Amino acid sequence: MTSSLAWTRRRNTLLRFWGDFRAHHSALAGLAILACFALVAIFASLLADPEGLNVAKATAKSHAPPSADYWLGTDGNGISILTLLIHGTRVSLVVGLAATAIAIVIGTVIGIMAGFYGGWARSLLMGFTDWFLVIPFLPLAIVMASVLGPSLVNIIIVIGVTSWPGTARLVCAQTLTVRSRPYMERAKALGAGSWHQMTRHVLPNVMPLVLAHVVLTVSIAILSETTLSFLGLGDPTRPSWGKILDSAYGTGAMSNGEWWYVLPPGICVVLVVLAFTLVGRALEVVLNPRLKEER
Amino acid sequence: MHPLVKRALTVALAAGLLSAPAAGALARTPDPSPSQAQSSQDKVTFTIGILSDVDSTNPFTGIVVEAYEAYALMYDYLVTSSPKDVSPQPSLAESYQEAPDKKSWTYKIRSGVTWSDGTPLTARDAAYTFNRIIDGDFEQTNYGNYVANIERAEATDDTTLVLHVKKPTPIMERLAVPILPEHVWKDIDGTKVKSYANEPEDGKPIVGSGPFRLVERRKGQFLRFEANKQYWGGAPAMDEVVMRVFLNADAMAQALLRGEIDFAYDLQSNVFESLKNKPGITTRSSKYPGFNEIAFNNGAALADGTPIGDGHPALKDKQVRLAISYAIDRETLVARVLNGNGAPGDTFIPSMYPALHLDPSVKQTYDPAKANQLLDAAGYAKGSDGIRAKDGKKLALRLFVRDGAESQATGEFVKSWLKDIGIDVTVKVMSEDALTEIIGQGDFDMFEWGWVVEPDPDYQMSTFTCGKRSYKDGDAIYADLSDSFYCNPEYDQLYDQQSGETDPAKRAELAKRMQQLVYDDAAYAITYYYDDMVAYRSDRWTGFVPQPDPDGSILFQYGVHSYLAIKPVSAASPGSGAAADTGSGMSGSLVAAVGGGAVVAVVAVLLVARRRRAAGADERE
Amino acid sequence: MALLTGTRGYVVRKVTWSLGTLLFVLVFNFFLFRLLPGDPIKMYTRGRNTPSEQLIKLRAELNRPIGTQFLEYLSNPFASTINSTRFNRPVWELVAERVWPTVLLVGTAILIASVAGIWLGIRSGWRRGGTFDRWTTGATNTLYAMPEFWVGMVLIIALPMFPSGNINTPGVSGFPDVFLDTAWHMVLPVTALAIVYLAEYTSIMRASLVDELRQDYLQLARAKGLREDLVRRRHAVPNALLPTMTLIFLNFGFVIGGAITIETVFSWPGLGLLSYEALRGPDIPLLQATFLLFSIGVVVFTLLADLLYAVLDPRVSSQ
Repeated sequence: MTSSLAWTRRRNTLLRFWGDFRAHHSALAGLAILACFALVAIFASLLADPEGLNVAKATAKSHAPPSADYWLGTDGNGISILTLLIHGTRVSLVVGLAATAIAIVIGTVIGIMAGFYGGWARSLLMGFTDWFLVIPFLPLAIVMASVLGPSLVNIIIVIGVTSWPGTARLVCAQTLTVRSRPYMERAKALGAGSWHQMTRHVLPNVMPLVLAHVVLTVSIAILSETTLSFLGLGDPTRPSWGKILDSAYGTGAMSNGEWWYVLPPGICVVLVVLAFTLVGRALEVVLNPRLKEER
Repeated sequence: MHPLVKRALTVALAAGLLSAPAAGALARTPDPSPSQAQSSQDKVTFTIGILSDVDSTNPFTGIVVEAYEAYALMYDYLVTSSPKDVSPQPSLAESYQEAPDKKSWTYKIRSGVTWSDGTPLTARDAAYTFNRIIDGDFEQTNYGNYVANIERAEATDDTTLVLHVKKPTPIMERLAVPILPEHVWKDIDGTKVKSYANEPEDGKPIVGSGPFRLVERRKGQFLRFEANKQYWGGAPAMDEVVMRVFLNADAMAQALLRGEIDFAYDLQSNVFESLKNKPGITTRSSKYPGFNEIAFNNGAALADGTPIGDGHPALKDKQVRLAISYAIDRETLVARVLNGNGAPGDTFIPSMYPALHLDPSVKQTYDPAKANQLLDAAGYAKGSDGIRAKDGKKLALRLFVRDGAESQATGEFVKSWLKDIGIDVTVKVMSEDALTEIIGQGDFDMFEWGWVVEPDPDYQMSTFTCGKRSYKDGDAIYADLSDSFYCNPEYDQLYDQQSGETDPAKRAELAKRMQQLVYDDAAYAITYYYDDMVAYRSDRWTGFVPQPDPDGSILFQYGVHSYLAIKPVSAASPGSGAAADTGSGMSGSLVAAVGGGAVVAVVAVLLVARRRRAAGADERE
Repeated sequence: MALLTGTRGYVVRKVTWSLGTLLFVLVFNFFLFRLLPGDPIKMYTRGRNTPSEQLIKLRAELNRPIGTQFLEYLSNPFASTINSTRFNRPVWELVAERVWPTVLLVGTAILIASVAGIWLGIRSGWRRGGTFDRWTTGATNTLYAMPEFWVGMVLIIALPMFPSGNINTPGVSGFPDVFLDTAWHMVLPVTALAIVYLAEYTSIMRASLVDELRQDYLQLARAKGLREDLVRRRHAVPNALLPTMTLIFLNFGFVIGGAITIETVFSWPGLGLLSYEALRGPDIPLLQATFLLFSIGVVVFTLLADLLYAVLDPRVSSQ
């Protein structure tokens, strides 16, 4: 009985949520863009033969402008830029999502602990967070990437580990408000342990807000991946949008006016990042009642 | 020369890292142009564009190739290398001779040579320079290897320098040590020398005896050298040489096109291509003493033979290494990776040194069938997945390549060729620093790197000796020169023999035998000899002397041959001033200033308009 | 505790926090770089004919106990004895040369972007939901999604008449010429940076204005019948400017990120390009120096933001 009631309630919440979300047309457009890129990432190997990424198998002239065979021209090694873009989608999305997952886990754990325990634990954890906020992101990421060496996993770790402080602050603040709510007192009175309180009461109440934040973090993580790859800190064996831009820069594509080498990867980044931002902003409004009133 | 420097440069270029330190120009007073403002109109200036600034004009501290070029302009050397075939040739020492007892060498120093401050240059200065390095500590860093066998330098009179040697050595004909003025350097002790800049102060040029003297230097911007018209080797045809530092190759190419510089050094292949067929400009891809290789872990060990590292055991088998060498299509690498600016490689002394280079009679050229045959014979049978294995151990190898387009592309090619012969290759990209560390520890199977070979082959040959394998200091293992861990007693014996052989012909014979051994054992699979790419204003300068003749480098050589030989094409284009160009640049600047001003003005107007409107509203209130 | 209240207490607390952070940065900087791979001695002596004995001697100097090294580092983190492995010159000498070009580039970009961004933010925040706001927000979101270095690369291709690199034309001399020449070289990098910063500042200003408009006193002011323009000019905008200025200061780290990639694309001889050069190698001493400098920059700017806030809004320090 109770479970079905809870289920109905949840379904209603979800439906209401979807109804609210649907009102944001830009967010729907964002979702559509994301779906397209996700499909490209999943079916990358069907859309473009991965053999086309092999420098040793390339037969085309390097730096060739777009043609019937190579719709977006070729890069400095004679590889089709379209093929690179399609396979690069995968790296950008995977890095964006995985790095965000790391950041969210670290940020949520530290934020909840700080907010829940309060006192010196909060001072300590938040002080630590503030320190991390102070250290400038890109230089820190550069240094960490140099320490770890360039690989896909490492770039995920670097971005994840450098982007958690924002989440921690948000979660901490949210935990503080949840903690002061009456039902927490009740749970405590009923003898619930800290773990129970944190996972059953605090986390579910903090999560909606975190969700919007997650989506926005993904967009920043993708931008970070592009920047780090451009600086030569990405996985050198895998194509990514940032890496295409790095090789364009390194082989003089700009001074030779090779727009086909520079424009497409950037446009892909802008579309994906913008899509995540739009969805994230809409989620924020839908999930945060305070912001909703503003509209 | 400086093997790793070229390595570093190559990777820097490949990585698109073309910048040099630049100065905070704005914080200072505006610069007078080196070639225009300070040189009067009728001065003839030869301007060279470089991408790495000279790190130090103190010959004891500099590292980069550009710095050594500067020292060659500023100072004299006992000996130099001939432009024809890079063989030893007298220079400041007009003749030299080994004593019959082989215990000393006597150098006859030219008489009548003076330092740029008027003091006569004598054998005493030369003796001072050598003794300073022999007795020195910091001084050993750059020149230690030249004096390792020299016991004492002695000036028996003003024109006779005697170098007493511990044992006979052929390096005495290749002493690339700049001779310094004792009366200047005696005041700079062993501690001061570490931070001594050796730069002109208050317009006082640096005291030297070379064909040029350094008169002005701005870090990150330029170095200006004035010709020594009394030079014993003949007066240079120009009045000045300027080395101008550029932040990237594109900017340097533009400067060459506009005529702001006469010579662009060390070009990337895409920039090189873009300069082809431009009026007044000649591009030149010259033979260069550098090679790249796929190096194998021949069985990593310390110099005493203690095995280290985790190299794949199959690579200790010469047949496997040979098979890999036969599977590499060097012609394709030259065509696709170097854009044709190089030649397929074979032995470790490049063909640029015809007297020493061994052209093997049986070449390891691309032949996958032969490679397969060698592997079959060695007992590596193909498994169901197409990968060979022996005794249950798969032939799966790691190939470490460096962080740079050329190295990575080579890695991809090698990977796909080796796949064809049943070897599974995992390519890993890493920084040169990280790779150096890993090589020293022996933790690799194969890697891609290269060397620049000096005219004296001793250094290069030593890299294949057992004694140059890694060594232990405390608990830590450190790399020495060997990066293949090749160790062959026969080779070592030949090495010892040549190191005491002072007859060039006999020594060349030994060097060839050594190359044959390394080639047959396939310690390296040498991929290619790459070219040195430059472009210059052939409408202004003529008479460059290639080293070696006819397709070697025409500048940044061993010696200063071209600087003494080149001449302006006609009197019509004195120097390389860019005065004509500044007009368009200035009108551009005006546009910028106007444009920038316009933006500010628009913003200001908008703000003021707001304010007015608000003020109007106020008044009405 | 009395000492820690009031304006003085506020300042003392903020300064103490900054000093603590600086210490953290120093310690972090020291140990982080001990983790980097590579044999620095091998790098210093690359390409030279250095005998092995000399290498061992040099290495011994470097392999002193870590505690000694740490104390030495703490006593003078800016010791100029360490050479960059890439340039073979003292790191702080290199850094000093590169400071001014960065200050010029970034300063100009921030100035333009903040003036324009604040203006756009006010307009769109005031009539939020209006046509102007929707266009501005859309444009801001799009600009925000662009990697700044890509904006720079596109500008180079799109506007080939402007110089694509360096700070000035070698050979140009004399007072007005050098000034104009530098301005000419600044057009593209400043535009690229300003575009990206603009997006950031517009959204900050808009958000703080929207926040301010929610305040009760503004409703009251309006209820009292004050004209909209006056409400905006006298109350809302000045109050919203305060957090905006503070955030602009606080976002110094963001500014640095832009400088690194834009200076790289435009070969602008500043600290950003220096970091990029240090990174390719990597040139550990140089990387360490630029990282330390950037971190200190952020700490200082954060402190300035806090103090500025206290000066402009006395309520903060009295709380």
